[in-house]
Amino acid sequence: MTRPLLEVRELKTHFSIGRGGFTRRKSVLKAVDGVSFSIHEGEVLSLVGESGCGKSTVGRTLTHLETATAGTAMFGGRDILNLSPAEFRPLRRDIQMIFQDPFASLNPRLSIEQMLAEPLFIHGLVRGRAEARERIAATLELVGMDAKSMSRHPHEFSGGQRQRIGIARVMILTPRLVIADEPVSALDVSIQAQVLNLIKRLQRDSGVSMLFISHDLGAVRHISDRVAVMYRGKLVETGRKRQIFEAPRHAYTRRLLASIPRLEKRIA
Amino acid sequence: MSVPLSIALVFRGRALATIGACWLLVVGIAAIGAPLLAPFDPLEIDPFVRLSEPGWPHLFGTDHFGRDSLSRAIYGARMAILIGSGSVLIALVAGGLVGMLSAYFVRLGHLLMRIVDVLMAFPALLLALVLMTLLERSVLNTVIVIGIVYATTTARIVFGMTLKLKRDVFVDAAICSGAGHVSVLFRHILPNLMSPMLVQASFIFAFAQLQAAALDFLGLGLPPEVPSWGNMLSEERIYVTRAPWLLIFPGSLIILSVFSMNLVGDALRDNIDPRFKDDIAGV
Repeated sequence: MTRPLLEVRELKTHFSIGRGGFTRRKSVLKAVDGVSFSIHEGEVLSLVGESGCGKSTVGRTLTHLETATAGTAMFGGRDILNLSPAEFRPLRRDIQMIFQDPFASLNPRLSIEQMLAEPLFIHGLVRGRAEARERIAATLELVGMDAKSMSRHPHEFSGGQRQRIGIARVMILTPRLVIADEPVSALDVSIQAQVLNLIKRLQRDSGVSMLFISHDLGAVRHISDRVAVMYRGKLVETGRKRQIFEAPRHAYTRRLLASIPRLEKRIA
Repeated sequence: MSVPLSIALVFRGRALATIGACWLLVVGIAAIGAPLLAPFDPLEIDPFVRLSEPGWPHLFGTDHFGRDSLSRAIYGARMAILIGSGSVLIALVAGGLVGMLSAYFVRLGHLLMRIVDVLMAFPALLLALVLMTLLERSVLNTVIVIGIVYATTTARIVFGMTLKLKRDVFVDAAICSGAGHVSVLFRHILPNLMSPMLVQASFIFAFAQLQAAALDFLGLGLPPEVPSWGNMLSEERIYVTRAPWLLIFPGSLIILSVFSMNLVGDALRDNIDPRFKDDIAGV
């Protein structure tokens, strides 16, 4: 493999909580506390761990939705954590995020066309409405949606369809890195596999790199090249998928694998 | 959803709110068609028919200057609508902006919301009184003052809703798409504030009537010659025993109109915010 596309070193994201009224004592929640990993071109790295371990915060920090406390993240030769919001804005095109809850992540007041046109116009990728519509139609078909649905509003779609729209909003920018934050865990089990297969197909066809954040080990096994296991804000183990699933070294990884034995059969 | 259909939905099964809406329609027609509908000039003084009883040709009687009460009441509808919509406009624009910006930009919010807190510490009428004493009596000033008074409550409400909205995932998604502050605020947050603000508007419209009537009554609102329901009450109050109809008509008009506005506001709110459905609040 070539040089990594994204190289995260000692990433820390701390939150100060309970800025207590009279006592000025601050307590600090170390959501992410010294995480290092790298993602190569075209690679899918999964970040797994129990809920509350800080895996979503890693993704949110890399997209500047949270502010990093310390650490570096080299992306295309620049440390993206040190950039001001204005400097980071053009890079948002390259680093996109799929959100967990498709019912919350689409603005109920915008039509699908308005929603998908927004990133295109912001990043100056199209010159007019006609060109935007063309791109939107093509992208909707790419995610398995009817191009006619662009005049409709989010409430007219099911959860699976909404998540496809969310994925279209990401893929329409042809990003280089996609951060998928539990992209299927809010969906019906019957829909999960379809959307997961869509993500995998789109990833393979476009060669985009992906940080796949999930607690669903079945999904992780299906989609990833490498797996990083996170526990209480730190990575306990990183390795190739086969190694993590078949020869886990860390005790926590073993516990995690043992905690959901039924999944093995369901996904196979 | 089409507009007629959503209007039908708001009023279905709400007889009182429908009657209220009809009454407001009558007030609206009176306001628009005042010059055509009013039988006399509302400012014309006729010393020979002072304090005449309701009858022909003065259906609502005449006041102590001999002005036709009905004509003044019809022109008063104009003032009611003008003051209501003017205050609503100022309250929503000023209050909405302050609330939205305060919630979105936290530091600015600390400053602006403290000012709002101070303004809210005064009872609404007292605040209006203080502001009116500083200004000249005029229609515009009355509208501005009442607008400012209700801008504070609007700011509070919008502040709370924006705080919640800005943490919604679709705002994160918009930011990830590259949207800037202006786009997030006006394209993603504001449209989601519209329906609660519409409900707020209907209540401000109603309260502005009471507020304006109170200011008129205290002699601090509209200039005395302007035919408004509050001024009619204020000027004729000393004749309450000799010519009670001079107070009964404008007083009933205020009560009816405010009650109707509240009923319509309730219907709107119940329709938009399902939490209040079948509650005691839903008359």
